Amino acid sequence: MTSSTLRVINVTKRYGNSTTEVIAVNDVSFSVAPGEIVLIMGPSGSGKTTLLSMLGALLKPTEGEIQLNGDVISALAENRLPDIRLRQFGFIFQDFNLLSALTALENVTIVAELAGSKNGAARKKALALLIDLGLEERLNFLPEKLSGGEKQRVAIARALINDPALILADEPTANLDSKIGHEIMRLLRGIAKGQGRSVVIVSHDLRIKDIADRVLWLEDGQFKEMVEMATDPVCGMKIEKERALSAKWEGRIYYFCAKGCRDEFTQEPEGFTREIKVIVE
Amino acid sequence: MTRLAFRNLFQSKTRLVISVGGAALALLLILSLDAIFAGVEKQITAYINHSGADIFISQKNVRNMHMASSSLPITFVKTAASVPGVDQVTPIMYLANMVVVGNERNPAYIIGLPENAVMGGPWQVSVGRGNPATGEAVIDRSVAEKSGLSLGDNVEILGMKFKLVGLSEGTASLVNSVAFISFADFVSLRGSQDAVSFLLIKIMPGDSPVDVAARIEAMMPQVTAETTVDFADQEKRVVKDMSTDVVTIMNMIGFLIGLAVMALTVYTATLARRKEFGVLKALGAKNNDLYRAVVAQAFLSVILGFSTGLLFTLLLSWIIPYLGVNLLLEVSITSLIKVGVVSLVIASLSAFLPIRQIAGLDPALVFRGK
Repeated sequence: MTSSTLRVINVTKRYGNSTTEVIAVNDVSFSVAPGEIVLIMGPSGSGKTTLLSMLGALLKPTEGEIQLNGDVISALAENRLPDIRLRQFGFIFQDFNLLSALTALENVTIVAELAGSKNGAARKKALALLIDLGLEERLNFLPEKLSGGEKQRVAIARALINDPALILADEPTANLDSKIGHEIMRLLRGIAKGQGRSVVIVSHDLRIKDIADRVLWLEDGQFKEMVEMATDPVCGMKIEKERALSAKWEGRIYYFCAKGCRDEFTQEPEGFTREIKVIVE
Repeated sequence: MTRLAFRNLFQSKTRLVISVGGAALALLLILSLDAIFAGVEKQITAYINHSGADIFISQKNVRNMHMASSSLPITFVKTAASVPGVDQVTPIMYLANMVVVGNERNPAYIIGLPENAVMGGPWQVSVGRGNPATGEAVIDRSVAEKSGLSLGDNVEILGMKFKLVGLSEGTASLVNSVAFISFADFVSLRGSQDAVSFLLIKIMPGDSPVDVAARIEAMMPQVTAETTVDFADQEKRVVKDMSTDVVTIMNMIGFLIGLAVMALTVYTATLARRKEFGVLKALGAKNNDLYRAVVAQAFLSVILGFSTGLLFTLLLSWIIPYLGVNLLLEVSITSLIKVGVVSLVIASLSAFLPIRQIAGLDPALVFRGK
């Protein structure tokens, strides 16, 4: 595998023109080191999908540049991009996007064949990957016969078949239950830490924070600092910790939206001492 | 990509049936029509090919029998016999007319045969005799069966009643049949004692029909002498000239039906897999890779349709003789090549629209769940 770094430098993506212009991504910069897992989070419509499409050479930025291994891929001609996508990126999608007419093995093999591998070699490599991912009993199953977790593991094998430097995952755990989601997260971590590949994940799933080396918060097309949120134990309102009023009781700090809530709490704290979770939404 | 095309084609059984069935029906139309005309050509030249003659001599510039008339002086029999290389000469009388039974009129080549003719008579007789005497006739078995005739019954030919003494086989086609009466009856009915229609020539063993025909024409400048093969070819050409327009129109209809069905099914199949093609494009497949999948799917459909169409045509050609219809379906190599080429054109054209659709597909849509 080629050791590489993704660099995103002052990237902006605009849609439409003057009066109808929408800035989906606005002057974004970051980089991903080899073996690093970067999680990009943010509300719907924040520009995550646009950013991911640009990282995957599926969309060209209006301004700025994207470098992979020092090469400016955002400046490459359109006809060179398929080859970059095929050999440098591995894609994992929210709804798996397996080809319904092909078996698990064929779904992986076809991507290697597209990259020029001979059928025998492609099949052998796909077989090894699928067995490694615990799918030896499901090789000749069509996607419709596979569970969600199995489909995502096939998609991961497909993403890895051409030995890419960078894995781009769009909501990889969204359609999976928590147990399988956790399993997929473990696999992604293994890919990054065990194989030294960079992984960029776009997700709403907070659990992925556990495996991420870095979490970036995208809002209104720009990266913003992660804000730690708390829930007022009296009124239930979500509030920013840094700006909230607080009170300490039995060694724990509680946060409030207003003085009234804090006064109510201090009068009878036992009635409000529920678990307060950090919300990042 | 061929594997993907194959799997895509076979995954939806309904689409497969429509696609292959549609192509098969269209190609069946073209194939069976060609086979019918090839069969008619074969049937219509059956008399010439089975006459036993090596050369046909006819009036100058008359080169076939169908819709033609030939008249030669009877003295030419002796002249022809004297040409080096000629072994035997049989004069026949010929007219295209009707075999009438009650109200039923069956178009037929009427052949007037000399007594003990060695050529020109029925080549296979299923019942009775093949060489009619005065007042007797031999007609095709299927015509007799259709009219409810049997040996000893009367038929009307050239306005005269004849007693049926033989039933011949293989002498009927979709358009007519061959009926045999005696030379003497034919002459008396037509009123010309000193003329015959054609001279059938048997050549000496070891001699060439082409050479002997050339010698005949050299010695008898008032006649046309053609080998049986050439004479039959001319006959076929007349049939072909008469049917070309019909065949062309029906071929066009078959082509358009095939094209419409294939174009629609390949287009809808591609439309149904638009997202999957988008995924492949996002993963790095080039447009050419995807075009190959679409074209392969179209070609697979057409190949299956062609095979199915051919199978049904062969099946029809086997079944039809059992249905009592004087129809022969003859699948020729020329027809197979023609339909093969038509199939390839259909496959190529039907893949055109889906290819345009794929070319315009935005791979970034896969991240938007489209």
